[in-house]
Amino acid sequence: MITKPDGIRKYVWLACLMGLFITGILSLDCNSLNVRLRRVTWQNLQLLSTMSNSFPIECLQERKAFELPQEILSYTQPLQKNIKEAFYEMSKQAFHIFTQDTFQSTWEEKHLRQVQIGLDHQLQYLEQCLEEEEEENEDTREREELLSAGEETLRKPSGAPVLQLGNLDLRRYFNRIDRFLKDKKHSHCAWEIVRVEIRRCFYFFQKLTALLRRR
Amino acid sequence: MLLSQNVSAIGPLNLYPMVHISLVFGISYVAPVLSDEHCTLKMRFRNFQSVLSWELKNHSIVPTHYTLWYTIMSKREDMKVVKDCINVTRSFCDLTDVWVNTTDMYIPQVVGFRENAKLVICMGSFFLVPDKPLDPPEFEIVGFTNHISVNVKFQFDSPGILSEELQFYLAFIEEHAGNSVKRHQPQITGNITKNFNYVIDKLIPNTNYCISVYFEPKDPRKINRSPLKCTLFRPRRESESSESATIGGIITLFLITAVFISTVMILKRIGYICLRNDFPKVLNFYKLSVWVFAELPPLEKVATVEVIHVNRKKKVWNYNYDDENDIENEAAPHLISGGYTKHGLTGKLCPTSTTSPSLEDCSLEDCSEPSAEEPYLPEPKGDAETPMAPGPGLWQSEGTSGGYQTRGTLWQDPTSEEDSDSTEGSEGRIVFNVNLNSVCVRALEDDKDSEVTLMSPSCPEETVELEDLNETESSVLVASEEGTQLPFTNPSTECPRPQDAPSDKSDTSDPDVDMGDGYIVRQVNLKKFN
Repeated sequence: MITKPDGIRKYVWLACLMGLFITGILSLDCNSLNVRLRRVTWQNLQLLSTMSNSFPIECLQERKAFELPQEILSYTQPLQKNIKEAFYEMSKQAFHIFTQDTFQSTWEEKHLRQVQIGLDHQLQYLEQCLEEEEEENEDTREREELLSAGEETLRKPSGAPVLQLGNLDLRRYFNRIDRFLKDKKHSHCAWEIVRVEIRRCFYFFQKLTALLRRR
Repeated sequence: MLLSQNVSAIGPLNLYPMVHISLVFGISYVAPVLSDEHCTLKMRFRNFQSVLSWELKNHSIVPTHYTLWYTIMSKREDMKVVKDCINVTRSFCDLTDVWVNTTDMYIPQVVGFRENAKLVICMGSFFLVPDKPLDPPEFEIVGFTNHISVNVKFQFDSPGILSEELQFYLAFIEEHAGNSVKRHQPQITGNITKNFNYVIDKLIPNTNYCISVYFEPKDPRKINRSPLKCTLFRPRRESESSESATIGGIITLFLITAVFISTVMILKRIGYICLRNDFPKVLNFYKLSVWVFAELPPLEKVATVEVIHVNRKKKVWNYNYDDENDIENEAAPHLISGGYTKHGLTGKLCPTSTTSPSLEDCSLEDCSEPSAEEPYLPEPKGDAETPMAPGPGLWQSEGTSGGYQTRGTLWQDPTSEEDSDSTEGSEGRIVFNVNLNSVCVRALEDDKDSEVTLMSPSCPEETVELEDLNETESSVLVASEEGTQLPFTNPSTECPRPQDAPSDKSDTSDPDVDMGDGYIVRQVNLKKFN
């Protein structure tokens, strides 16, 4: 005869197991990439907007044009992969910036934590999806090589070179931000300016998710 | 005096604060204090319309007019003045056409003046993020035969931000059918005008569909849906087809009825149907007895004639005119004009009167050759009427009444279809009924010709004018319409056999007598014959 606490424990264990599986399944659901990216990006954007009450006007003089790359998605093939890699690069760089210990103490710490956690989850999700896609591409490439064995075939230019150019622009962009912080010695105004700039970057990527929906 | 003292007191001592004040104002104008403590800036970004409003915190200082400047964070640019918001008395400014970059942060600056002096300076920072979800656009739905068309109307005055943001703020169309909700995402690409059309197909017939349109908010929890607009999807094609089928059926039925009626009328008109029932009396067959027992047509009055067929060889004329008897005796049947067949009656009638010297003269000439069979003289029948009609074969008539015994031979009509052999089979005797009304009796013109042809009284053309006859010397061959009875000689009277009589002699003298009532009388001198 199963006692009541034993039964509850058993069912809870099963529920947790199922929850892990579901979470794992949902987390690895790269088909809902668009929805996930939009949701996480919007949340981060909102967090950065509310992290500080208002922009200090006195820091207006120290602002700088970081030149966010507007044409990282100028090449349309393959768009989805292009956007995933761009998101991955952006999330990785932003996560690097917001994990520095020199962040402003005036900011709401909980908001910063939430931004860090969101970026970290987004990175993990994008890594898994990109690995799966890469495995599929390798299988496809092997099949094509088997089919065209014995023939000299020019490899079609994949999106990698183009994507590298886009990722390079993103890396340069975030390097400028990082350098700005170091030059300003992570001052309050520098952080405020960086906060506003990264928030602008998030909003730009939020618009990219609309492209995924349309195509 | 007091005024002068006051002035002197004010003089240098009073000038200092004035100078100070002026310096303060000057400094504040040159380097405005970047602080929003004096006023509160609010940005209302709704339906792609940016309206910046401000409210003073300290109501003791009320500027008479305001001027708005702004700059952006992404570039190091100087403040720019908003042209529509220079020295405005209102406390708000429409920046829809000025602030178009939704990714950038805008730094507005509001300066309040009183006359020419700045009273307050207010600054802030804003992203063009809708504080509220976009208001749903207006739309109209139109139901068609197989789809529903949704016409979405954008009422945005800013074309610049419209093309950029509408691609980002996608509009969605929800389709409510019963308990199911289906969301449609229209593709908005390129330069968008103020409205676009979206078609919803694959609908269930006879289902009420409700449509709602809204912009996709950034926060899924804050969806501002439009009021539902419903329409009953009824495939008009089916109803139209049913209506058209009904109309077609009615028209077809009408046409069929019209054709039927016209056909009936035509048939009735031509008399094919609905015949007249007012038949003539002769056609009244209501008497059953008439139907059952059909009335036989009246018999024609006929006379029995016995025809004796005599085979006779065909005589070929050898171009010898000496043989007159053959010519006389022959009575080649020839056709009478009018379609009658004329048969010559060979022979001569024997007169019954003993006073007639022609007793010897009156004889029936034997028309046949010696080799031929002897003519057979049948006994006259009592009830037999005088046969007058020409018939096939050769016949001899013998009259018992009157004063003469007449015998004649009727040559067989060469045109007759009857074969002479058939008559031979009947032993040279053919009996047939002759309708006296259908035969003509006519006497030949030639005196030598003793043949007597019979004609019906209906052919007056063939009537021959007769001379007055001497009754005592002529035999009468009477033909009447009602009945013909050849005058037969007394049985006691014997007609001379034609064998004894010379064949080439014709003693006939045939004066014709017109009886006056259509009869033709032929007086024939009979020859003796065997």
